[in-house]
Amino acid sequence: MTASAARIPEPASAPRSGAHLLVSTLERLGVEVVFGYPGGAIMPVYDALAGSALRHILVRHEQAAAFAADAYARRSGKVGVCMATSGPGATNLITGIANAMMDSIPIVCITGNVAQGVMGTDAFQEIDILGVTLPIVKHSILVRDPADVPAAVEEAFHIAASGRPGPVLIDLPKDVQVGQTTEDFGFSYPNTVTPMDHDAIAAAADAIRAARRPLIYVGGGVKIGRATDQVRAFAETTGIPSVATLNALGTIPTDAPGFQGMLGMHGTRAANEAVQEADLLIVFGARFDDRATGKLAEFAPHARVIHFDIDASEIGKLRETWIPVAGELAPGVAALTAHLAGQTLTIDPWMIHCASRVQRTAFRYDAPGEGVYAPALLKAVSEAAGDAFVAACDVGQHQMWAAQHCRFASPEAHITSGGLGAMGFGLPAGIGAKLSDPDATVVVIAGDGGFMMNVQELATLRRYGVAVKVLLLDNSSLGLVRQWQELFFDGNYSEIDLSDNPDFVKVADAFGIEAFRISRRDEVQAGIARLLAADGPCLAHVIIDPRENVWPLVPPGKNNAEMMEGA
Amino acid sequence: MSTETLHLNIDRADGSLQRLIGLVERRGFHIDGMTLRDEGQARRVELAVRGRDDNRCTRTLGRQIDKLFGVTRVGASAATFHPEVAA
Repeated sequence: MTASAARIPEPASAPRSGAHLLVSTLERLGVEVVFGYPGGAIMPVYDALAGSALRHILVRHEQAAAFAADAYARRSGKVGVCMATSGPGATNLITGIANAMMDSIPIVCITGNVAQGVMGTDAFQEIDILGVTLPIVKHSILVRDPADVPAAVEEAFHIAASGRPGPVLIDLPKDVQVGQTTEDFGFSYPNTVTPMDHDAIAAAADAIRAARRPLIYVGGGVKIGRATDQVRAFAETTGIPSVATLNALGTIPTDAPGFQGMLGMHGTRAANEAVQEADLLIVFGARFDDRATGKLAEFAPHARVIHFDIDASEIGKLRETWIPVAGELAPGVAALTAHLAGQTLTIDPWMIHCASRVQRTAFRYDAPGEGVYAPALLKAVSEAAGDAFVAACDVGQHQMWAAQHCRFASPEAHITSGGLGAMGFGLPAGIGAKLSDPDATVVVIAGDGGFMMNVQELATLRRYGVAVKVLLLDNSSLGLVRQWQELFFDGNYSEIDLSDNPDFVKVADAFGIEAFRISRRDEVQAGIARLLAADGPCLAHVIIDPRENVWPLVPPGKNNAEMMEGA
Repeated sequence: MSTETLHLNIDRADGSLQRLIGLVERRGFHIDGMTLRDEGQARRVELAVRGRDDNRCTRTLGRQIDKLFGVTRVGASAATFHPEVAA
C-alpha cells in the first residue's frame, strides 16, 4: 500500500530545527492536546514546546500518556497524540500502542531516540523502538533528516486516521531534532474512497428480503467509520433485531426496540440465543473476535453471513462470508437501507420471538442482602448522569458489569479496552476523555486491581483539575481471575487476594482528591449524587462482595448457547 | 500445506523488510525461502510461504500484506493471493 501525497513547497524561511518543525506541524494539523513525559532524548522537542499553542499534559507514567491519547481519540474522533523519550520512555508506551492497535484507534506516538551516529552501539537509553513495535502499529517512521519531519508527521496523521485507523509511531533521533533546515514541505493527502460495490449491496438486500430470521451484528467498526446514524436508520427502517459487541455498545440505543444486548462470553441470553437461531447475520464492522463468537465452529450455525467492513482482510478471516461488502460503512449501509426502505420484510414472528425473549430474560436488580450490588449501582450511575454519561472502564468484572448494565447514549460514551483487555486503562482513559469533551460526565469505572496499575495518575487529575469521577469497585481481589479459578480451576485460588489494599480514601486524599466510601446499599443513592455533583475530581470507594460473579458466562471452548447462569 | 511464492516490491524505509517478514510469521506462516534484490528505487522480494496449519489462508495473508505501507504485491502474486484486485 502507498500513501500518495502531493508535495507542496512552503515559502523559504529561516533555518529551524527538526524539533520546531515537529511542533509547528502538529499545530498546523490542529492538534490541541499532547500527553507525554520528557526525558533526555526528546529534550529538544520539549524545548520547542514552550510557547507553542499545544497543551501538554504531563502524566506520571508514559503508559498513561498512550492510554489518555487513545481515549482522547475515542471520544473526540480526532487523532490522539502522545510522546516519550527513548529507551524506557518508549517501551512504557508499548501497552498503550497495542491497545490502540487492537481496537483500531488513531493515535500518533512520538518518541525521541539517540542520535543516528550512535544507533546500534547500545548507547544509553537506546532501544530499537521501531523494531520493537512493528507488530503493534499500523505504521511507523524513523525520520533521518530534519527536513523530512513535516512530511513524516503529516503522513503519520493521515495513515492513523484513514481507512481502518490505528497507531502510528514516529521515532526522532536526537540529531534530527536539533538539526537545522530551511526546507519545509507541507503535504496534502487526498481523501481516498473505496468504490462502493453496488452489486454486492443489491445482493445483500435480496438476501435480507429472503431471510426469515435475520440479525444485525454491530461491531466497533461502526463508530470508527462514523456510521452510527446509518446503522441506527437501517435497524429502524427494517425492524431487524440487533446485537452488539463490547466495543459497539451504544451504537444501537440500549433501550431501542429489537436490541438484544451484547453478544459473547458475558453477553445476554437474548443476544446469544438470537445469534444461534438466526438464518442471516448482517455484520457491520465486526471481526468475529473470539470473546464474541465463543466456539467459532458452532457460532451462528444456521446463518449465512453478509459482512460490511472497511478492512477487506477481516472479511472471511475467521468465518466464511456469503456476501462480502468491503468499503466505507456509512455510504454502504445507507445504500442498503435505501434498497429496503418502504418494503415489508417477512420477519414478524422472529421480531416477536426476540422481543419476548428480551423481556423474559432481562437482568434483575433485586439481589438479596444489604451490601452494594454492583450491577444495580452501575445502572443507576449511568441513568443519573443521563446522556452526558461517558464510562471510561478499566478491565475486569466491573468492565463486564458496566457493559451489561449501563445505559450508553452513543458508542463514544463507552470507552473500554476491548481487544487488548489492558488493566490500568480506566483512569488515564478518563483523563483523555474528559480533556477531549469537558462537558461530558466522565466516570472512571475501575476495580481495585486495575486502579492500582495507574494510580499515580491521580496526580494528573489533581494538577490539571480534571473533573473525572472515579467509581472504584473494590472486592479486594482480582475478581475475574477469582471467578475463573472458582469455576474452572476447582476453587484453587492462586494469587488473587488483594485484601491488603491501601485505604483508597486516604490515598485519594493524599493526592488532594475528594473521596468518600460507599459500603452499604442504602448509601448508594446519596453516594452517586455526591459523586456526580462534585465540582472537581472525586473518588467513590465502593465496597462490593468479593464472591460476586459476572453472569451469564460462556465457558471457554463452548458455544454461545451454553451459557452458565449464577444464582 | 503446500508452499506458495509471494512476489513483492518493498520500499527502502527503515523496517520495511522486518515488517513484512514479521507479519507473515505472526499470521501463522512458515517462510521456506526468500530472495531479495535491488530493482532501482524498490527492492524485489520473493517469499515462499507455507501455512502452519490448515486454517491459514493465503488469500487472507495477501489482504493483510496489502495493508502494509511501502509493500506492493506484484505479478503473479496479486492474482494468486488476491484475485479480485489483480491488475
